Amino acid sequence: MSEKITYTEAYEELQALVDEIETGEISVDQLSEKVKRAAFLIKTCKQKLTSTEEDVNKILKELEGEGE
Amino acid sequence: MPEKVQDKSVYSLLEVMESIRRTLGERYTSAFWVKAEMNKLNHYVHSGHCYPDLLEKREGKIVAQIKANLWKEDYLRINENFLRVLKEPLKNGINILFSARITFDPVHGLSLRILDIDPSYSLGELEREKQETIDRLRKEGIFDANKQVKLALVPQRVAIISVETSKGFADFRKMIDANSWGYCFFYMLFPSLLQGEKVAESIGRQLERIRLVQRHFDAVAIIRGGGGDIGLAGYNQYELARQVALFPLPVITGIGHATNETVTEMVAFRNCITPTDLAGFLIQQFHNFSVPVKEAQRVVADAGRQILSDERRNLIESAVNFRNRTRHFLASSARMLIHQATGIRGFTGFFIRNNRDILAQSSHLLLIGTARLITDRSTAVETLTRQMELLDPKRVLSRGYSITMVNEKPVRSSSQVIPGDSLKTITFDGSIISTATEIQPEPKP
Repeated sequence: MSEKITYTEAYEELQALVDEIETGEISVDQLSEKVKRAAFLIKTCKQKLTSTEEDVNKILKELEGEGE
Repeated sequence: MPEKVQDKSVYSLLEVMESIRRTLGERYTSAFWVKAEMNKLNHYVHSGHCYPDLLEKREGKIVAQIKANLWKEDYLRINENFLRVLKEPLKNGINILFSARITFDPVHGLSLRILDIDPSYSLGELEREKQETIDRLRKEGIFDANKQVKLALVPQRVAIISVETSKGFADFRKMIDANSWGYCFFYMLFPSLLQGEKVAESIGRQLERIRLVQRHFDAVAIIRGGGGDIGLAGYNQYELARQVALFPLPVITGIGHATNETVTEMVAFRNCITPTDLAGFLIQQFHNFSVPVKEAQRVVADAGRQILSDERRNLIESAVNFRNRTRHFLASSARMLIHQATGIRGFTGFFIRNNRDILAQSSHLLLIGTARLITDRSTAVETLTRQMELLDPKRVLSRGYSITMVNEKPVRSSSQVIPGDSLKTITFDGSIISTATEIQPEPKP
């Protein structure tokens, strides 16, 4: 994944995409591209649910730094 | 009795003290009710007795102060009443209404002996203080401030204010760590007292620490559990409630008690009451995010399938259509061909038959015709022969006719002859030579 996108943005874009699909505004020609995009957004969202990059030690270090 | 020393009556200290004690005893014969602030309880664990500092303030200044005694038995009974009615133990800094006697001890001096404390008065005072906190926060317009902070879609990173050994924290962890959906949480403990007099100060300090690293967190959870309903008055203190209300991250409470929501819980982003419910609330946020994502996945997949299947159906329909039309065309062409072939065969047969018939008829006719022709001709020949026979000049001549010739030509008209011509008359059996003497033409009618 080269694109930087927050999960909130991904979630919102995904909802918009679903609306678009549900109201039938997508042609077969666009479909492949849209499905590919949706798959990327879904992956981003799902990843958020199951992983985090936070680290207690880093935060503690930061707290000590602030304390000085 | 006083001694006489140089004309003076001199009392011993004990005599004076005894006198004061007697006087007071005579003046204050019964117990009376007093209201005061109990600044310090001064409970001595070893003896079980308390020596409370009582005072009265006016406009922040101490205007009266006295030491009091609260003996062990009285203390135990009163404390039990307090726990039952106030959900708070007898403690420093509360307003009390108490029944007391004045006591005077020659050694310890003047004091009030507390016989009883009315818990409902203190309860009212606590409620009043709580109400004051609420009113003040509302007046400052910050009562709902934390509720208006936006909670992250996935509140995954939680700063926990609790105690490592708290049952509530254990309940919370159990539920979060063992969630069966595989949701990943990050939480970090900021240890604090959770009840008693120092709770507000202790929690306040941890909130300040969290504020320093707030970018690492989505929410703050205050978790307590297993402590019963006692010692929560600190959560009604203005300073703590204000800090929570104004905190930049959503503060969620799960301090696990059954009665009387505290002001801190009221102003929190959400009060989940128990630590388990708090964990459930966080997991629910994950669900709220996850379900639409799954739904989106379904919709996108369905739409893809639908469009593809529509296209496939169109294609199949076209193919079927094409096949049908082709088949129909082929069939109709074949039919036409067969029809034409049949037509040709039929016609040819007919033609042949017809011609054969004509031919047969013709040959028949020819035969008949020929025969008839021959017969006819024979008859004609016979007739002619007969006629010829009839026309034979000899036969005519024999019937009395003769032929007159002039100059070797038969005479058909009288005009052919002039008098003097030599005429030859031929008869049946010879000829006569004569000369014309007169011509008599037949008059015209």
